[in-house]
Amino acid sequence: MKLRFENLTKIYGERTVLNIADAETPSGIITGVVGPNGAGKSTLLNIACGLDEPTAGRVLYETANGVFTDRPPMKDMTLLSQKPYLIRTTVEKNIAYPMKLRRFPRETRTGRTEKLMEAIGLTPLAKQKSWKLSGGEAQKTALARAISFRPRVLFLDEPTSGIDNRSTAEIESMLRAECRKNGTTIFIVTHDIAQVRRICDHVIFIAEGRIVEQGKAAQLLDTPREELTRRFVGGELLY
Amino acid sequence: MDYILDGIKKAFELIASFDSEIYGIVGLSLFVSLLAVFISLLIGIPLGMGLGTRNFRGKGIILRIIYTFMSMPPVIAGLFLFLILMRRGPLGRYQLNYTVTAMIIVQICLVTPIIIGLTYNLVRDKAPEILRLGVTLGGSRWSNFLLLLHDLRRGLAAAVVSGFGRAISEVGAVMIVGGNITGKTRVMTTYIAELKSMGDYSRAIAVGIILLLISFIVNTFLYQVQQRGETE
Repeated sequence: MKLRFENLTKIYGERTVLNIADAETPSGIITGVVGPNGAGKSTLLNIACGLDEPTAGRVLYETANGVFTDRPPMKDMTLLSQKPYLIRTTVEKNIAYPMKLRRFPRETRTGRTEKLMEAIGLTPLAKQKSWKLSGGEAQKTALARAISFRPRVLFLDEPTSGIDNRSTAEIESMLRAECRKNGTTIFIVTHDIAQVRRICDHVIFIAEGRIVEQGKAAQLLDTPREELTRRFVGGELLY
Repeated sequence: MDYILDGIKKAFELIASFDSEIYGIVGLSLFVSLLAVFISLLIGIPLGMGLGTRNFRGKGIILRIIYTFMSMPPVIAGLFLFLILMRRGPLGRYQLNYTVTAMIIVQICLVTPIIIGLTYNLVRDKAPEILRLGVTLGGSRWSNFLLLLHDLRRGLAAAVVSGFGRAISEVGAVMIVGGNITGKTRVMTTYIAELKSMGDYSRAIAVGIILLLISFIVNTFLYQVQQRGETE
């Protein structure tokens, strides 16, 4: 699903945190959204996933028949945040919850939940209560839950921040598989340039609320066109 | 000191003797309190959730009124309801004073603010992240409400415990609107007050112990419900 931003602005008080003239994002690939702290990445993500309203402008979503609409397709997309909330129940029930909301048949729910748990190493924790999980286990559960209903768009806000390397590798592997097998459009906000290199096909670099540059991951990271992008990917602390 | 020991002994004798008067009073006490708490739940939980999840003009003053009502002396609630229900009052034509219905109504007036206030505090702290999850997973308003209920069930059970405690231990308000009429509106607390004024301390202690036992049993049940939420 392509997303199109039209004159997107978000203002808090007197501070403009987002100001994107016009941009379109590619479909069916993993797009990394990077930039310094306070650049507006999370604000953009929250608006794009329908959690927040822009002060002006709009986000358009490509429908299945190629037409764009400004109604966020809430049933077809989801957000995974840095510290996701898990329902106070077991791991397997958490994963099955979005499918239950969409009235998937019981067999489908059970089958997909088992496959997802196996793929991400959660099978031994199937009956574990959510409040007894470690940070990495909780994040993997939340990711399995987010993709269980096969959303067309998946937004991730620093999903591996503060998580051990093994869990990070399992999460990245699952994201790549999800994108490849189901054609899911994935947006990932991250500070980790190495992670962008590992999993992203496309990169949007944001600074001071505007898109400075976007392009294929290899091109943007290795031969950036803009000076600000070059400094950022070069490891300079921008603020 | 003997009358205290006598009272304890008499309590167990009364329980074992299946004294019809005592069991009638116990039954009525439970009926009035449990029904009042049940109706208060139906009113209080949605209102508390609404207040906890929405912002609107006048919310601050509504909350202050609810907090005031949470600690309202029962005799004041009883007095106001009595005046409203008395023959010359606005609802006098229904002739509800000195009936079980009036006792249930006054207990609803006392318990509902407690349920609303405790639900509000619970929802205000926890609801944003639960509702955020519900919205991002594509849940409807109804399914998000059910998700809130599910994840806040332990806290809501605590609100029920508090409400039931207020209802079962209440004496002033039910005395005013119920009148403590033998075989009709007499509940355990008003019976204890009457026994004390008659100097029948041992029987008063006996009824008091039964009241404590019932309160213990009901709270044990609610505690189990609470714990099951955590371990199931």
